Amino acid sequence: MITAVLPELDTKSTGIRTEVRELTSAEFSAADEVWREYHGTAGDPGRDRIFATFLAGQIVSLARCRRHPGGLEVDGVFTPEGCRNKGYARTTMAALVTACHNDDLHMYAVESLAGFYSEFGFISIPERNLPPRIRERYTWAAGNMEGAEVRPMFRRAGL
Amino acid sequence: MNVTDIQTTFVSDTRNRIAIIAGLAVLTLGGNLLAMVLGAPEGLLPLPSLPLTIPIILASYWYPRRGILFSVCFASIYAVTTYFLSPPAPLLAYAILPRAILLVLIGGVVAFLATKLRESEQQMNQIIEFLPDATFAIDREGKVIAWNRAIEEMTGVKKEAMLGRGDYEYAVPFYGEARPLLADRILQGDPEAGYPSVRRSGDVLVAEIHTPLLRGGRGAHIRFAATALLDRSGRVTGAIESIRDVSDEVMTEAALQNAGRQLNTLTGILRTDLANRLAVLYGHLSVGVMKFDDPEILSFIDDLNDAANGIRRQIEISREFRDLGTSPPAWIPVQQAIGKAAATLSFGDVSLDPWTERLEIFADPHLATVFTHLFENSLAPGAKASRIVVTYQLRPEGCAIIVEDDGTGIPDAEKEDLFAQKAESYGHGLFLAHEILAITGIAIRETGTFGTGAKFEILVPSEGYRIV
Repeated sequence: MITAVLPELDTKSTGIRTEVRELTSAEFSAADEVWREYHGTAGDPGRDRIFATFLAGQIVSLARCRRHPGGLEVDGVFTPEGCRNKGYARTTMAALVTACHNDDLHMYAVESLAGFYSEFGFISIPERNLPPRIRERYTWAAGNMEGAEVRPMFRRAGL
Repeated sequence: MNVTDIQTTFVSDTRNRIAIIAGLAVLTLGGNLLAMVLGAPEGLLPLPSLPLTIPIILASYWYPRRGILFSVCFASIYAVTTYFLSPPAPLLAYAILPRAILLVLIGGVVAFLATKLRESEQQMNQIIEFLPDATFAIDREGKVIAWNRAIEEMTGVKKEAMLGRGDYEYAVPFYGEARPLLADRILQGDPEAGYPSVRRSGDVLVAEIHTPLLRGGRGAHIRFAATALLDRSGRVTGAIESIRDVSDEVMTEAALQNAGRQLNTLTGILRTDLANRLAVLYGHLSVGVMKFDDPEILSFIDDLNDAANGIRRQIEISREFRDLGTSPPAWIPVQQAIGKAAATLSFGDVSLDPWTERLEIFADPHLATVFTHLFENSLAPGAKASRIVVTYQLRPEGCAIIVEDDGTGIPDAEKEDLFAQKAESYGHGLFLAHEILAITGIAIRETGTFGTGAKFEILVPSEGYRIV
């Protein structure tokens, strides 16, 4: 299996090398396990591509790109509590953006992470500019994005 | 049991059904009359009339077109006998009439629903009937529920003789004995058993066999394709199987392979002969360089040497083409093909990011060679690339595998003939890549912008890719 060459992380001192790659359908259940702490998110091999960073064979960060009828949505960007602040989410997002760069990407970013996503080319947009099927997820917020503490974002296709 | 036995043992259910309806009608009407004669109280009168719905429901379901007429007659007999045999009462007629109307209504509703069901079944049967491939379907119990015209022609067994038959009798025309077919394997959840080469294409199982019984005993290669019939909740309610005579296809394929082998032998001999003569030519040229020192003659020898090099390159290319198309196409994991190609090349400082993990395409087994030639272009010193990225994009017309780099790219003037067979493109191998992909209907084009990098798009048709 080929994996992308990663920038050196703080694993240098431990000698354990991280690996970032797309999950196979058989590995979706492992992602679901990790996501259990994250709103019970579950992958669907029929419409999802899931990217993960592994450390010593264990998933330390996840990100999902889901295909909707109107476009692609990035969500499920999650790093378990004990693995945070080590750059794993950054490498996972970089992999997702590279792998899915041929299409425009949309997302509801957690307000406090908007800066993080802007590093990957995401820009803030009005909610009405999101494809309708992606907007459905936050219908309950009735347009009050600040109240829901999320921000609609968009990344134009391209490397 | 042979084919003739199947045809002669066909038994109609019609007589049995009429007997059941008549028997139930007599029983229920008789019961009602008995209740009247014995003087059932007025309050209990509806009870003996309830079983009367049974013959009405059965008659309306089995014979929907005559269902209402039967219900009206039956309800009338009930109403008249009950009216005259019941003790006189002022509102007796008003008590009996609604019950008779209810019986007619029940018959009407059942007849209407049964008609709709029959129409739906009829439409489905017509679709199956006119399929060009021999097709049959079995229910959960393994009984034949559809047997189309094409399979009648293939086997010589008529639909009337086969509908409702079970115990694997539909296998007799193909195997000469009753044995499970692919459709039965689906019902039994054991599709691979009994077939040497069962393969799965989505939800469809496909297998090929040779049977000596078809084509008037001359034998035929047949391809079975079977899939499960599911109800709305996804439960298996039966299976449908189509059978195609692929004898001509198999014979043509065998003939082509034979011709290909002979051509390969011939070109191999020619290649060896050419290489030997080329070696002699190189020898003469080497002697010439040593023998002459006239600059004009040396320049002439140089030109001859270049021409000889061109011939040598063509021999190398013809060697690469040698095995093209000799093995059948197959579903190939793209990530593996990329890995195989990358293993043969030296990337130096150039990084390779392939993101095609779950993608498989139906292609010639030389798919890795395509990536080898594309990567070679990016790795050429003149390309000045530092990164190669391979991704894919799902599009309405299929799937595009995109191989791009951040080098200088390809000038617009060169794009048109990039994949054409011409002397100066031999080294790049793009013509070869194009030909390998074309075997399974895959196209390739270059869409990059000169100055920002090369971008090759491999366009796989919808039926030629799958995400596993």
